Amino acid sequence: MNNTMSIIFASDNESKLNELTLHRTTASLPFCGRYRCIDFVLSNLVNSSVTTIGIITRSNYSSLMDHIRMGRDWDLNRKNSGIAVFPPYASNTSTNVFKGKIEALYGILDYIENSDDEYVIVTNSNIIASIDFDDVYDAHVASGADITMLTYESKPTTSKRVIVEKDFTGRVTGMRITKSASEENAELGLFCYLFKRTQLVSLITETYERGKIDLEKDVLQSNVDNLKIYAYKVKGHAALVDDIKSYYNESMATLDTEIRDSLFYSVGKVFTKVKDSVPTRYCEGAKVVNSLIADGCRINGKVENSILFRGVIVEEGAVIRNSIVMEGGKIMKGSKLNYAITDKDVTVTEDKSLSGSESYPVVVVKNKTV
Amino acid sequence: MYTNKKECVAMLLAGGQGTRLYSLTRDLAKPAVSFGGKYRIIDFPLSNCINSNIDTIGVLTQYKPFDLNQYIGNGQPWDLDRLNGGVFVLPPYMKGETSDWYKGTANAIYQNIEFVDKFSPEYVLVLSGDHIYKMDYAQMLAYHKEKKADCTIAVINVSIDEASRFGIMNTNPDNSVYEFEEKPKKPKSTNASMGIYIFNWSKLRKYLIDDENDKNSSNDFGKNIIPNMLKDGQKLFAYNFSGYWKDVGTISSLWEANMDVLNEDSGINLDDSAWKIYARNTAEPPHHVGKDAVIRNSLITEGCKINGKVSNSVLSTGVEICEGAVVEDCNIMPGAKICKGAVVKYAIVGSNAVVGENAVVGDKQTEPVNGQWQITVVGPNAKVAPNTVVPVKAMVD
Repeated sequence: MNNTMSIIFASDNESKLNELTLHRTTASLPFCGRYRCIDFVLSNLVNSSVTTIGIITRSNYSSLMDHIRMGRDWDLNRKNSGIAVFPPYASNTSTNVFKGKIEALYGILDYIENSDDEYVIVTNSNIIASIDFDDVYDAHVASGADITMLTYESKPTTSKRVIVEKDFTGRVTGMRITKSASEENAELGLFCYLFKRTQLVSLITETYERGKIDLEKDVLQSNVDNLKIYAYKVKGHAALVDDIKSYYNESMATLDTEIRDSLFYSVGKVFTKVKDSVPTRYCEGAKVVNSLIADGCRINGKVENSILFRGVIVEEGAVIRNSIVMEGGKIMKGSKLNYAITDKDVTVTEDKSLSGSESYPVVVVKNKTV
Repeated sequence: MYTNKKECVAMLLAGGQGTRLYSLTRDLAKPAVSFGGKYRIIDFPLSNCINSNIDTIGVLTQYKPFDLNQYIGNGQPWDLDRLNGGVFVLPPYMKGETSDWYKGTANAIYQNIEFVDKFSPEYVLVLSGDHIYKMDYAQMLAYHKEKKADCTIAVINVSIDEASRFGIMNTNPDNSVYEFEEKPKKPKSTNASMGIYIFNWSKLRKYLIDDENDKNSSNDFGKNIIPNMLKDGQKLFAYNFSGYWKDVGTISSLWEANMDVLNEDSGINLDDSAWKIYARNTAEPPHHVGKDAVIRNSLITEGCKINGKVSNSVLSTGVEICEGAVVEDCNIMPGAKICKGAVVKYAIVGSNAVVGENAVVGDKQTEPVNGQWQITVVGPNAKVAPNTVVPVKAMVD
């Protein structure tokens, strides 16, 4: 679909990732051993030939800039398209950091208006899924929709969720924007939309001029009757990462072979920044079971049901269970981790023990030594 | 001031077929052969160049060049996509009335004199694409300048038994070379040429042209250019290199070099942030280790799926080891699959090969025979049928 551009929101002011996003946007949150959350959306777009991509940042965006650079690792360092990163205050209309997505989109209206593309994909960056946007486009055209919203099936959590009600044709007839958790599965919005570009421009302008700022509430929910909004349920595994619990659960979900096949081998490759790490070395004391291990690690201890990012060192006698150890982590002799998330460059010194629970994993912030 | 000029241009000889690697090089040139889990042989000279601040490299290709050309691409993985300079793939080309294959190593450079001239370099570094080593060419260049040499040849000290397999440089006490002997029966010294030369370009240019005019010449650096320069009394110096260096031209040495990467005392440490070896990345997820896997003393990289037993082995990108399979002392190349219950020992399994269920490939070796390990080879894309036995040193195509 090379007649389409995309706008990605690097962070969502609704997210509750706490310690994990102290130093970074949701987009640059490390995920699944060698990725950042945004890699999934970016790769999905690139795999569907969407190569004009604007990324709207809100704060803490240096880690994202460092990750994306010129977009080369996604083949987005192009002459006539490619990546544009918009920091806050990018336009002369913005005097404050934006509060809602409409405000942010209004701030870069020139960028959207100046494009020749017919369509725009407006999306969050915390969607873990393999999405075939060519198929989304076909469905959009076939349904005659004004807006196609991507959905997935899951249980509502205490984070912002849009519950979609639709008729038998797939047209959305109502939306409930909720923060109440439920044990029952529902069709939920993925915060990813396909708009006709000119229509998006007028919707942004009109909504902004009426003093409204919220994309879901003020553009979609309030226009359910006036606009033809259709739901497109993403095939395969899909998830939103927006709090510690969903981060932990979705990370652990990637240990499942079926989910991994869906994310990495169903539509296209997932690209990320290349770091030229060496292969991982298993030493004599290594005992690894059901785990995902990135390159550049050195393992001489036990690792079970865990995810190790690039360059993690597990010393002799260390035991890591049900945990996530981000890049450059060093777990020294005799230490034990259970239900823990250690951020980048954390050192756990000898014979320490860190233990959380499945619903409340302990989080150790970046660069700390325990 | 902006100028096209480069002090030193590297010319990498990558045209050889590497016949002694048999089926591993049936469809690709030797420098494109997979090595050490996520590398190809050519990553070593290319990374050495960029780490030595040499950013202009001509890669001379001839035999089955497509994999190699595609792999090098625009040179970006090695930071060699430059506005001025960078990496250039140089196949033989038509010239007016004539066109020729590269007849020899010297002829390959001769045919690209115009390419080198475009950068007006003082020096040309000649490299080959079949060695595993880490070397700072900048130090060698500094030595070349210090000695005011016309040609400097990197040499490595080998044992006297091995010396008759190499080109040997016989030197004076000041390290100047007085004699070059190709594979001498009775070696006078143990300074083996590593096939790495630095020449003053103006000198080399003249010798290449003279060599081309000599109808009896075999147009080879070792056989013709170096002896001719010595005969004329040019200043040739040996540059002693003492790090890890291995010619991976045979099945045994390729296997051995992979095992050396596993052995942390071998001297070829790839996990060196000061001297990274770069490679083209294939965008695979982290490797997954399953519930029944047992892994000991091995190197494993992205995209692998391990459910069997792996020990003393180097596994490349996207290798799958199924339940109950046993892999010992092996080098498994990208995308290969070892099916349930198969046993593979002391073997090289080529890219995308499949070893069927309960097949047995190779067997344990205790020591090399006449210096050669008895390695069993499953060629690229080959299929070993289930329940079959592939005997030691056999090659499956």
